Amino acid sequence: MNFDFDLIVRSFPLLLVGAGVTVQITAFSVSLGLLIGMFVGIARLSNTWIIKALAAVYVDFIRGTPLLVQIFLIYFALPIIVGQRIDPFIAAITACSINSGAYVAEIFRGGIQSIDKGQMEAGRSLGMTWGQTMRHIILPQAFKRIIPPLGNEFIAMMKDSSLVSVIGFEELTRRGQLIIARTYGSFEIWLSVAFIYLIMTFTISRLVDYLERRYKIDDKH
Amino acid sequence: MINIKNVHKHFGKLHVLKGINADIAEKEVVVVIGPSGSGKSTLLRCINYLEEPTEGEIIVDGIPLTNEANINKVREEVGMVFQRFNLFPHKSVLENIILAPMTVRKTPKSEAVKIAQDLLVKVGLADKEHAYPEQLSGGQQQRVAIARALAMKPKIMLFDEPTSALDPEMVKEVLDVMKSLAHEGMTMAIVTHEMGFAREVGDRVLFMDEGRLVEEGTPEEIFSHAKEDRTKSFLSKIL
Ligand SMILES: Nc1ncnc2c1ncn2[C@@H]1O[C@H](COP(=O)(O)OP(=O)(O)O)[C@@H](O)[C@H]1O
Ligand SMILES: [Mg+2]
Repeated sequence: MNFDFDLIVRSFPLLLVGAGVTVQITAFSVSLGLLIGMFVGIARLSNTWIIKALAAVYVDFIRGTPLLVQIFLIYFALPIIVGQRIDPFIAAITACSINSGAYVAEIFRGGIQSIDKGQMEAGRSLGMTWGQTMRHIILPQAFKRIIPPLGNEFIAMMKDSSLVSVIGFEELTRRGQLIIARTYGSFEIWLSVAFIYLIMTFTISRLVDYLERRYKIDDKH
Repeated sequence: MINIKNVHKHFGKLHVLKGINADIAEKEVVVVIGPSGSGKSTLLRCINYLEEPTEGEIIVDGIPLTNEANINKVREEVGMVFQRFNLFPHKSVLENIILAPMTVRKTPKSEAVKIAQDLLVKVGLADKEHAYPEQLSGGQQQRVAIARALAMKPKIMLFDEPTSALDPEMVKEVLDVMKSLAHEGMTMAIVTHEMGFAREVGDRVLFMDEGRLVEEGTPEEIFSHAKEDRTKSFLSKIL
């Protein structure tokens, strides 16, 4: 078997377009997932049992089923419910954010629980409501602590987003498949795809390291 | 100012407060003493509803602690100082003090800062407004915590062993701040093991043991002429 380096060079621009789409879907999903996860994470600590139970059901369902199945569920089941076809991009982002939200919720819950109970008591004793104390006292401290696991979640999402290729959504992995179908250069293309994922995840992990260090220094003043 | 009527508190099966009756008058300084585990902290925490009594009633400044709105209202009027300070580590000294007035009382920032700076002068930390809690000694942190509570202009201050977590050389600076508060006529309920301070500043001393109020009286009555054996035995161990 001969290695066709030229194929890599020729395919690279197309793969980069796919990588751009992967970054997009990851960024959207993680942002939405962060929002969902923050509220669900807080909900899991609620004193109202029904809120707590609903949050737990959501987290358990998502974490207990494969993302691939969730993507199919959203892509094939949602149209039946809403009565119209949904765009693969919408389906992909919906599935990925709902998935990410559950994992982020657990990260937030752990972060919030790691903050000394005395902080909430101090806030409440000053007359602040539970929500005000959460917002001004607990979350800012928890957030600093959960930067590393959130970074891991970001990286995991970027890799897992390759699964949306199954609904024909043209992110990096799907682009690779399409190019291979035309050129039969499986090895060269998968190698390139892997390399691009690696560069992207490596960049994110450096970024997270930087943020973590900055906040650590911030903490000391 | 505070009326505590037949208050019981259970933690699961544990019966921690067994029918406490006590009143604290305006401008009165009441010192609560007793062995560890006797329920002193729990009683104090019931006054601002950090713990909910299982039975009985507490009325603060005429406001019964019945619903969430009342509870928040009471907490605005009752300041609390904790053994472990509980300053907000991600906020500077000044930010620690102005947060509650701004979010709860909606005090404009410039005014809140002015109040905070005056309070820092009062507790002797005028030069520390931009410092962060971890840069301060324990005694300094506790004085900031007192200033933070005072910024809400409370009518009552609760202190739960405010000097117990401090190195000995820092105890006095905190007690001095509390003394000056007492002289200004603040209504105070203080749990402490500082008997000299209790004698000097307290108007009344309550002795608690095993969830009951065993004996109360003036510092003189309690420290020199205790009637109950349990009070005497506790004092003999601690004095
Ligand atoms: N949140 C809680 N849950 C269960 N038990 C508690 C809780 N808080 C206090 N207790 C128990 O209640 C008793 C009285 O505690 P506390 O009021 O802190 O006593 P003191 O302040 O006099 O040392 C102790 O036995 C303590 O273990
Ligand atoms: Mg205690």
